[in-house]
Amino acid sequence: MNFVQIENNPLKLAKKILSDLKASEDMGLLRCVQCGMCTSVCPGAKNSDYNPRDMIEKVLEGEESIINSEKIWNCFYCYTCHSVCPVGSSPCEVNQILRQIAIDKGTVNDKVGPFAGYGDSFLDIGIGSMPKSFFMDLNEDIEGWLNFKSELEEIRETLGLGPITIPTESIKEINTLLKKVGFNKRIEKMKE
Amino acid sequence: MKSIPDKNILLFKSCLVSTEYPGIESSTKYIFDKIGVEYIIDHNQSCCTGLGHYSDIFDQLSTTLIAARNFHIAKKNNAKNVVVMCATCYAINKKSAKLLNKNNQLREKINNVFKESSMEEMEYEKESFNPLDNIFHVVEILFNKRDEIAKHVNMNLSKFRIATHHACHYCKVHYEDTIEGFRNPRILDELLESLSFKTIDWYNTKRSTCGAGFRQRFVNKELSMKVTADKLLELNEKVDILIHMCPNCQMQFDRYQPYLSKQLGIDFNIFHLNITQLIALAIGGDPYKTVGIQTHTVPIEPLIENISENNLHPKE
Repeated sequence: MNFVQIENNPLKLAKKILSDLKASEDMGLLRCVQCGMCTSVCPGAKNSDYNPRDMIEKVLEGEESIINSEKIWNCFYCYTCHSVCPVGSSPCEVNQILRQIAIDKGTVNDKVGPFAGYGDSFLDIGIGSMPKSFFMDLNEDIEGWLNFKSELEEIRETLGLGPITIPTESIKEINTLLKKVGFNKRIEKMKE
Repeated sequence: MKSIPDKNILLFKSCLVSTEYPGIESSTKYIFDKIGVEYIIDHNQSCCTGLGHYSDIFDQLSTTLIAARNFHIAKKNNAKNVVVMCATCYAINKKSAKLLNKNNQLREKINNVFKESSMEEMEYEKESFNPLDNIFHVVEILFNKRDEIAKHVNMNLSKFRIATHHACHYCKVHYEDTIEGFRNPRILDELLESLSFKTIDWYNTKRSTCGAGFRQRFVNKELSMKVTADKLLELNEKVDILIHMCPNCQMQFDRYQPYLSKQLGIDFNIFHLNITQLIALAIGGDPYKTVGIQTHTVPIEPLIENISENNLHPKE
């Protein structure tokens, strides 16, 4: 008699996702009925080959290859799927967690490396500003954008607003705290 | 409905408000001062991590740790309420407050980090910030004070067609707490109508995201612009003004509208203003010293000139 080998623990990936900090309490991932509402409202699905219903199906089948899928990087994190899911699941949060798993494996530095600057500027000035590597693109697409940036401090003064950068003492605090939870190592690793 | 405060407020600084549309902050302060909402700003407060968080750079532990520090700053100022100007600050702070209250293990871990860093005073006390009763978007504060604001409005916008863009991270993330609907979000429409500014209310792409998509704008521009264009294409013939409640959405539409006009060969003619900027204008705020129109890419001057012509006999 032939036996078909069935994965011992097909829900391992789903359970790992549910236990992640990013997963909302009581997220209905295991209640998914594959209705496809998520895909029908998804801007990523409308304009690319990303399909949140399919992503969830793969997660529930324990198909780990979804972690390395290119397609999941087309999610906008708009939470539209999350807000309409009839069983309270959240493909948007599942997507974020899958990306985090991939980041921890160190296999997607090409995807996240360009954004590590958000971490650097947070440690430098207490604000996660857009990475400088994107500035020239922005300036090309947006007329006068860099000019405006050079006048920003003056404009803020006209508007009666305080400084952009937070005080040195606070920056030190933030650095101490984030170092303790391994944030610096995390972003350095992303840049490798 | 949840009870909305008008005092003991930390007005939470936002990175994109500070660096792209600072007029949102000065407009908010102008309105709050005029209608007697009591608030403080503390420059020690850091950015919420939002852009980095949703670009997958910050993990949830780091983001929640930063939120706990910012909650401490609010508390130190006797502000039990955190009021944000950006939809992503709203989503991030609410999520962190939920985690800090409900996840004992995480809270202890974060409190230990404070202890080991000799910052014991920052330790988070369970339930000290309730995500429903202590964390709000500015729009909610204004909505609650709409009758008071209406008394100060001295502007007629009846010849302009207005639509609203409700930010995803306000409406859809913690949708159970969203007021005035999230399937057909109406808080901006309701607020505008109570100030006698009529909106077109529902339109097909009303619920659609702005298209920024955090990483998408930068590394997947075609995909990002397709989504932004969908809304502009629907609204171009229908409205003159699109009202925003999030600096990232505003950036996506205001900064990239001329770009999309060029790319698609279509003359998009929509003015983009944050709700606080429109209200500040309507109650007498100076366009340059309060509303900050000089940081906009789509010039607001033609709109203001048009409004002035239309308001030769404003209601008093």
